Amino acid sequence: MKTLMIAILFVVACGKDNPADEIDAGSGSDFDAEPIDAGGPIDADCVTDPVTSAQLMNACTTAQRIEKHPVLPLRLPDGGLPPLP
Amino acid sequence: MRLSLAGVLGVALLAIPSAAHAAPCPTFTNPVFMQVGDTQENLLKTLGVATVADPDRALTIVYVTSGSCTNIDAIYANTQLASGATVKYVPAGLNPTAAAPTCQLAAAQALDIANSALFVEACTAAGTPPDVVTFHEGPKQAYAFVVPEVSNETAITAEEAYFAFGFGDQGGVTPWDDETQMFIRTPTKSTLLALAASIAVPGVKWQGFMFDKSTEVVAALQTATKPQKAIGILGVEVYDKLRGSLDALAFQAYDQWYAYYPDSTATATDKQNVRDGHYFPWSPTVWMVRDDAPHLADAERMVGLILGTVSPTGYDPLAIEIGVGLVPDCAMMVSRELEAGPLSVYEADEPCHCLYDSIATSTTCTACPAGTCATGTCVHGYCEE
Repeated sequence: MKTLMIAILFVVACGKDNPADEIDAGSGSDFDAEPIDAGGPIDADCVTDPVTSAQLMNACTTAQRIEKHPVLPLRLPDGGLPPLP
Repeated sequence: MRLSLAGVLGVALLAIPSAAHAAPCPTFTNPVFMQVGDTQENLLKTLGVATVADPDRALTIVYVTSGSCTNIDAIYANTQLASGATVKYVPAGLNPTAAAPTCQLAAAQALDIANSALFVEACTAAGTPPDVVTFHEGPKQAYAFVVPEVSNETAITAEEAYFAFGFGDQGGVTPWDDETQMFIRTPTKSTLLALAASIAVPGVKWQGFMFDKSTEVVAALQTATKPQKAIGILGVEVYDKLRGSLDALAFQAYDQWYAYYPDSTATATDKQNVRDGHYFPWSPTVWMVRDDAPHLADAERMVGLILGTVSPTGYDPLAIEIGVGLVPDCAMMVSRELEAGPLSVYEADEPCHCLYDSIATSTTCTACPAGTCATGTCVHGYCEE
């Protein structure tokens, strides 16, 4: 039995009438990444009609998904990743 | 700190007597000599049982396993299997869940086929391929971070993996902060290199306890002294056979908002997320043949079977691949051009989504035993829309 330290969400997200009523996806990534053109509202938690790689990874799906926000003490103040040792 | 089995056991390993010599190899029917990654062994055993009984052209798979980069080097350099080398082979009637029998080669033997379970370019030392080598992209292979079944963990982000495997004990990632419980592969293995590309930690920089074989990673995970801290890496089709004792972690790639399993749920077997792009760490299997292979025609037939371009009598190689946890190209909805590279939308000329689902889980597609469909096109026995 897994301890539910993280939210496990089963979502049938495509075609939601109001994505803002769904979970907070943290506006996508919380790390040092290029902005994603989600092709929809910035607070949408999945992408409809995905085309780009980032959109495909974040496309609406019936699959189980897991939200995780780990504490990473070595992360840089700007959220980026330090060079490897 | 990088740890290795040899380093830890040191002289003790050297003191272990070598395994008893295998029996001399029998006379094989139309042998095809292959050197493959150990993630492909389930495929070879299952496919080999079918090919050795193939009424169109019986082929016997004779193989050794090694790291993908080593296999690439071998086919580029035309490195032979040495006289006296121990090889495995797939006899008629072998139970694919059992170990393949071994035998000893009477003479040196050139390879017919080599396999890489990731993009060849990901092996940075591979160099320029000789003109005599042809490359064939086969079914897709997913890779996973795996924990003991008793672990409380269900997911890992790319950033967590970056710090855990890039910084080891000093990475500050809870609970993966103990290198003695981080079970990785050597840097010539596709399992490590594919995941390395996905988390942006070069293979040579990984921290953890290095093993040569997937089976050793499995054993380490199953017997971990600190199972809550234990984590390893495996090919997903290897993991699929071990779901009773191990759990694959959902993975959240860079630029991804959530973590996803290779399958649609932790317990599903549909590889939905590999197929549609939600699960990021996957690679093509690449099958390489030299123009001067000693059994070239049979080698090309074997590759054709793996690619699904040869339709044999009495069995469907694509169904076999699906059954062992690989994803044929025709079941993919995304593609990529380089290791851990960006994904793009993909649809095969003759898609096999219905066949895939019918074997891996279930399908609502209409069967077309007569070869015709009211709507869609009859492909591999089902009406594909």
